Amino acid sequence: MSTRVIVVTGAGGVGKTTLSASLAVTAARAGLRTCVITVDPAQRLADALGIEALSNHPETVAGQPRLSAAMLDVTAAWEAIVHRHAEPDVAERLLADPFFRALADRFPAAQAYAAGEQMADHIESGHWDRLVVDTPPAGGGLDFYTAPRRIQELVGGRLLRWLTGASIPGRRALYRVTARPALRLADTILGGPLLEELAEFLMDLRSLYDGLSHRAHTIDNHLRRATSIVVTTAQPTPLREARRFFEELEDTAARPGTVVFNKQLPDEWTESKNLRSPGIAPEVRAAARENLSRWASEVRLQRDMKREFAARYGLHLADVPWAKDAPTSVAALADLLMSCPELAGYVT
Amino acid sequence: MIDCKMTFVSGKGGVGKSAITASLALQAARQGHRVLVIGMVESIGVAAHLATEPLAYQPRRVRSGIYALAVNRSEALDEYLRLQLRVPKAAPTRILTRALSVLAETAPGVREIVTVGKPIYEMWRDRYDLILVDAPPLGQLFSYLRAPTTISDLVPAGMVRAQAERMRTALRDADSVALVLVTTPEELPVLETQEALRRLEAEPVVRLAAVVANRVLPDLGLSAEEIEMLPDGPHRAAARHHYAAQSQQEHWLGALPTGPRFPYLFGIHTAGEVGETLADLWDGQQ
Repeated sequence: MSTRVIVVTGAGGVGKTTLSASLAVTAARAGLRTCVITVDPAQRLADALGIEALSNHPETVAGQPRLSAAMLDVTAAWEAIVHRHAEPDVAERLLADPFFRALADRFPAAQAYAAGEQMADHIESGHWDRLVVDTPPAGGGLDFYTAPRRIQELVGGRLLRWLTGASIPGRRALYRVTARPALRLADTILGGPLLEELAEFLMDLRSLYDGLSHRAHTIDNHLRRATSIVVTTAQPTPLREARRFFEELEDTAARPGTVVFNKQLPDEWTESKNLRSPGIAPEVRAAARENLSRWASEVRLQRDMKREFAARYGLHLADVPWAKDAPTSVAALADLLMSCPELAGYVT
Repeated sequence: MIDCKMTFVSGKGGVGKSAITASLALQAARQGHRVLVIGMVESIGVAAHLATEPLAYQPRRVRSGIYALAVNRSEALDEYLRLQLRVPKAAPTRILTRALSVLAETAPGVREIVTVGKPIYEMWRDRYDLILVDAPPLGQLFSYLRAPTTISDLVPAGMVRAQAERMRTALRDADSVALVLVTTPEELPVLETQEALRRLEAEPVVRLAAVVANRVLPDLGLSAEEIEMLPDGPHRAAARHHYAAQSQQEHWLGALPTGPRFPYLFGIHTAGEVGETLADLWDGQQ
């Protein structure tokens, strides 16, 4: 049986990681061998899943023999990527290069690509019926889908071509290129042979191209077969990010299966009902009424935003209700999806 | 609140830092100041809260007293070379810009110093009473504010280093530059804010002016017992919801230093309304 992949994506702070864990718990409880890859979980969620530190190796969750969890370690993932695709001496040089470390730390696609590599590894291991992937929040989650292509461009010499004007020189020709007056001037301004070092680094990086290119293609294919779930809340910023999935992802194959509105307040709060109950003090009655009217205006706002979103993209939306406390146990994670059978249907 | 030439506003993503930046600008303009708003890496939010079109690199007057611009890295790099480093006119600037933009994508600190250089440069030009910067979210903030130091470590000598030293000194000038951190009284934003406060204490790259708590729920005016006496229905459910959410907020507010508080704005649809409403509320703050 092949692995079914569920990619959970969306802006930061909407509850993606918690929802990923809930989906994984639900799948495991249905008897499926399940693995969840989390990105930067809150401490209590990590505790609930029994993960102590960053590690790309899934650990079985205590008391849940069918459920394993891993926490994305970007640095370790990139070390593995470099060792996999470069000659040993080049790999050593790259990993020690400050330019490489800066790139791996800061290039937004680097974290997203590392998550993609992990996803591919777990699919290919054949260990899992279900793989739930929580995605890094960069680009509102969009970076996860575009990272394979962007990493390919980067490694393929986009920067090197820019630096040298047009062609990619051989190592010996590099010296002549960096001797150009404009680049010399740049080095004068910068106060050192920085550009030459940079060019050397980009040449090394380029040697990853064939292997990485092939791998990126594979990741892309896995992504096309995966089910994507976009998580948002009915607030302007996360909604703006969620819209980008429909407006910026050129590839329709990655079009999300569903959009989940998390932390939703009950609709019935807008139905004005009299507070009829004898024996309630007038000031209590007034405070309760005022409070309900405040929250009712919030619920109407939430409803308008959802309606507009669904109409614009012709979508069916799933709701997950607001919960008082963040889940801190496997049982609480399972409960979160009890009221949304349609969402549970994506993993079971 | 605003007692210096330039204020950076940052916070965890989603807490409303762009709204607070816009409200500060609106309030300062009402008092007759000439204000420049700068969107440093992301300017859609602050433009929306100022109820204006997307911003460009050239400052645009968005209303009486308020001008706004968005930092665009390639234009900022060009300006940095010509005006800040004073690269001679005869130099082949295009190729140079190219080379440096490659460096900006790879070398630590280069992209950041070019970006943070724009607000500093505007401060040096002194064309406004006040500059408000919608700074990058907390996760990236220090790589920008520390960029002058990073560059000094990376580049041993030369014009870039000298300029980086000037920027470092400018940011640390407590009379001119300050930082406002925005948070909501919730677990993750507060924990990130506390971490930022520790970092600032260890390395005071800029003076902290205030920690603003945003979206603070109003007092319910009901005790837990009174809530439970309400009949089953939406009134009780909403009161329970408010009570639970507010108790959690109380806890996280207690973990923050005192500072301005802004209320949760119920049912407001447009970003422009949020900006104006928050601006009205600055008057009552300490």
